[in-house]
Amino acid sequence: MTHLELELRDLAAHLDIPPTPSLTGVVSARVVRRRHRRRMLALALAACVAALAIALVVPTSRASLLRFFHLRGATVTLVDKLPPLTPRLPLGEQIPLHGVSFHLLLPSGRRPQGVYAGDGGYWLRYPGLLLFEFDSGPGAQILKKAALGRTKVEHVDVGGEPGIWIGGRHALYLPGGPPRAAGHALLWQYGPLTLRLEAAVGRDQALALARSVR
Amino acid sequence: MEPAAEESLVERARRGDPAAFESLVLAYQTLAFRVAFVIAGDAAEAEEAAQDAFVKAHGALGRFRAGEPFRPWLLAIVANEARNRRRAGGRRAALALRAAAEPGAAGVDPEAAAVATERRERLLAAVEGLRESDRDVLVCRYFLDLSEEETAAALGIARGTVKSRTHRALARLQEGLG
Repeated sequence: MTHLELELRDLAAHLDIPPTPSLTGVVSARVVRRRHRRRMLALALAACVAALAIALVVPTSRASLLRFFHLRGATVTLVDKLPPLTPRLPLGEQIPLHGVSFHLLLPSGRRPQGVYAGDGGYWLRYPGLLLFEFDSGPGAQILKKAALGRTKVEHVDVGGEPGIWIGGRHALYLPGGPPRAAGHALLWQYGPLTLRLEAAVGRDQALALARSVR
Repeated sequence: MEPAAEESLVERARRGDPAAFESLVLAYQTLAFRVAFVIAGDAAEAEEAAQDAFVKAHGALGRFRAGEPFRPWLLAIVANEARNRRRAGGRRAALALRAAAEPGAAGVDPEAAAVATERRERLLAAVEGLRESDRDVLVCRYFLDLSEEETAAALGIARGTVKSRTHRALARLQEGLG
């Protein structure tokens, strides 16, 4: 080793290099977040594929698919013509409020007139308001809608959570059933749940109602 | 770290064991930060670069060839992140010497210390005055004590290029010092 090389080595020992910050905690947290984001992306992709498959088996929308809206556990597909719709079906078996498998969220803490188990979740009936709640955890994809092209559909923010507002008549697909007629509805995520609120109210009122659901 | 222990940790991390990856981060965080710091020239940038590099390395573990040494592979990712930050940040802050010992401190000959510090300052300024490719190879080889193979991985060049570039950089440095 030459004198210059020895001097460079000596210099290295005198460099002002800050102490190493601990990286383990931050890196681990970022790895977990990244894995979660990828899983959610994969789920969203799977949901879109499923929605596309459903849209393609609905004859009237096969050639007229316009756009998708998606959040966890729910997809709204815009088509230019709705399929034939059946009237609203019974909500399911009525059960006591405390007989559900997860903690139900209630608008302003109000008790519903009735709770019904069905369609992979729980229906809560109030005067002029119908709430549907389901656990949209890993892979659950039980609520699908197709909305008419002229119906206003938009992404909204519900107290910091993603949501979709459907301002008009549309078709509601629940697992195993035919498309049902539905009116103004708001879909949104809250923790592990996805909720659907249907009421004859405008967007802002629906958002206010949704924000009161805790 | 023993190669066998490292290989076992890498294999466990590849299979999704978070504790194994954490052990790898713990083992290499000092090296990663130092490499990022001497390239990026800024502590905050170096920390970000090292973090990003570990997260990217975790995502790329599936492409890591079993049996290969982990350290040069990681160094390549860290150095790349740090270079990207240096490019994005424009002008890099120059390395500096640690504060000299207090004059009159026990065991320190004030005159000799002042001469040594001056000499080091001149040498560091000359290193910083080199073109980037020459500076980086000297920094890797002599400041970070990386092997030729590791320097090649960190700078993304062939091992033979490390040799020739080091030789050239030393000659230019000597020339610069007069």
